[in-house]
Amino acid sequence: MSVNAWIVVADQREVGNLIAVARSLGGPVGAVVAGPRSVAETVASGGVDKVVWCHAPDDAPPEASARAVADAVAADPPRVALAGRNPAERVLLGAVAARLNAAVLTGARSVSLDGDRTTVVNAVFGDISDETVAVSGPVALLLDGGSVPPAAGPGAPIEEVTVAPLGMKVVETRTHGFETVDLNAAHRVIGVGRGVKAKEDLALIEALAEAIEAEIACSRPVAEGLNWMGKDRYIGSSGAHIAPQLYLAVGISGQLQHMVGVTGAETIVGINSDANAAIFSHTDYGLVGDLYQLVPAITAALK
Amino acid sequence: MRIVVAYKWTCDPEEATARPDGTVDWSRAKPGLSTYDPVAMELARRLAEEAGAELVGVTVGAKGVGAPIASKAALGRGLDRVVIVEDESLREAGRSELAAVVAEVIRHIGDVDLVITGDSSVDVAAKMVPTVLAGELGWPAVAEVTSVTGQAGALRVERAIPGGVQVLQISGPAVLAASADAAAPRVPGMKELLAAARKPVELLDLTALKVPPAGAVMTVTGRARPERKARKGQLIDTTDPAAAAAELVAALRAAGAL
Repeated sequence: MSVNAWIVVADQREVGNLIAVARSLGGPVGAVVAGPRSVAETVASGGVDKVVWCHAPDDAPPEASARAVADAVAADPPRVALAGRNPAERVLLGAVAARLNAAVLTGARSVSLDGDRTTVVNAVFGDISDETVAVSGPVALLLDGGSVPPAAGPGAPIEEVTVAPLGMKVVETRTHGFETVDLNAAHRVIGVGRGVKAKEDLALIEALAEAIEAEIACSRPVAEGLNWMGKDRYIGSSGAHIAPQLYLAVGISGQLQHMVGVTGAETIVGINSDANAAIFSHTDYGLVGDLYQLVPAITAALK
Repeated sequence: MRIVVAYKWTCDPEEATARPDGTVDWSRAKPGLSTYDPVAMELARRLAEEAGAELVGVTVGAKGVGAPIASKAALGRGLDRVVIVEDESLREAGRSELAAVVAEVIRHIGDVDLVITGDSSVDVAAKMVPTVLAGELGWPAVAEVTSVTGQAGALRVERAIPGGVQVLQISGPAVLAASADAAAPRVPGMKELLAAARKPVELLDLTALKVPPAGAVMTVTGRARPERKARKGQLIDTTDPAAAAAELVAALRAAGAL
């Protein structure tokens, strides 16, 4: 069985979109998994044709199997290798791309095989332009992983490979205490920017979030730098890309690298004290004013 | 110990616009150190000071990356020297090709124990050059790195994972991509900039590096400005916050957003 597309998986099960894209190309789909065996089992039952599971020592992080992952893919070289956007998947895909000498694209909106060329519509430069790229030779794509694939049928066979890990091991894991979130599952999202002056003031946002059943997200500096929330809550070019019914941006200036993360939102509301803020060129409804007055007023108006 | 910081001298798409035909107009943009690279430089500089290591900057790219203003900006942030490949053929290079060139530069420098990069480049933001580079070198890579301490052969690396932090011990050479908040970069002062002007700058000829040819050839066959959902762009009068709130809530209910 000659594999047409390989999916590269670390320790996350959210690979439904990768399987769907690989399937859409036609031909056999393989998956190589560098995480726990349970992840390999989820992938195997998710609609692929074969799975290679890299069995590494328990204290090895997925990245320690990078060479073994590249070996597995290179043994049955594909047209396309796909991975999700998580840090460990990026490392594994990098090893695969180096081994295959593949073209690497990270903004694919669509991919198709035309004869011996692979055509990718690829968003570039903060999604301000879409390039159609024709590639002759192997392609490595970084994509949104999607959700956990539902079990489809009896499941593919799992081939186990014993890995001699690269020289790295996990010596400690600490939790940061922030509640994790799946922003993609939220119908309504409130984004918090640096217009919110102090962490205590998030109480205002939380009250509004409760009133409209929204998840709270943020711009990058609020999660990185201010550390008011976990990094899984920041929206933007290198953070979450979401498409909720409603996105309400509070105290967010509206820079490109944030707004590309919400272009799919059905309705966008912006609240900012600066009438010239870029946010107002991206909103359906704009409110120029003091968020400390407007946010509680909106919460009250909902009651 | 020898540490390399791989950095990029480029423009911010925030200052670019897409023309109706999808081509990108960079004419208003001014090149600079890519946004997150000063973080990598600061992280690397602290480690180099602690470990008594040499700190070498590496950048590869099209015309401009070897300009004195570019190397001075990098050297002013505490690098001991820079090694640069400036070649116009790299303007349209893909991630794999850039990584292959950086790998050859690292082999040219020799005895490199660690490569540190920023989180992502401000222009392409693929986050893939460090990981392909690691693949080229046969080294392990770790992304989202928040802290690095120790010595070559015994590095203690912390990286962000969903819900927390993981501490890794790395026993050989490695490529580390710093998280955007791994260190607070200092703005170089006059003293650092004057010192930067006296530090060594090595320009390498791309053809002399013997970079293997790319295995995949990319051809751009079309460009388009992406369709954006049309926004209403309605401003709600906020003179009376309560009235503004009521108007917004009514509008959102009518739109089915609440």
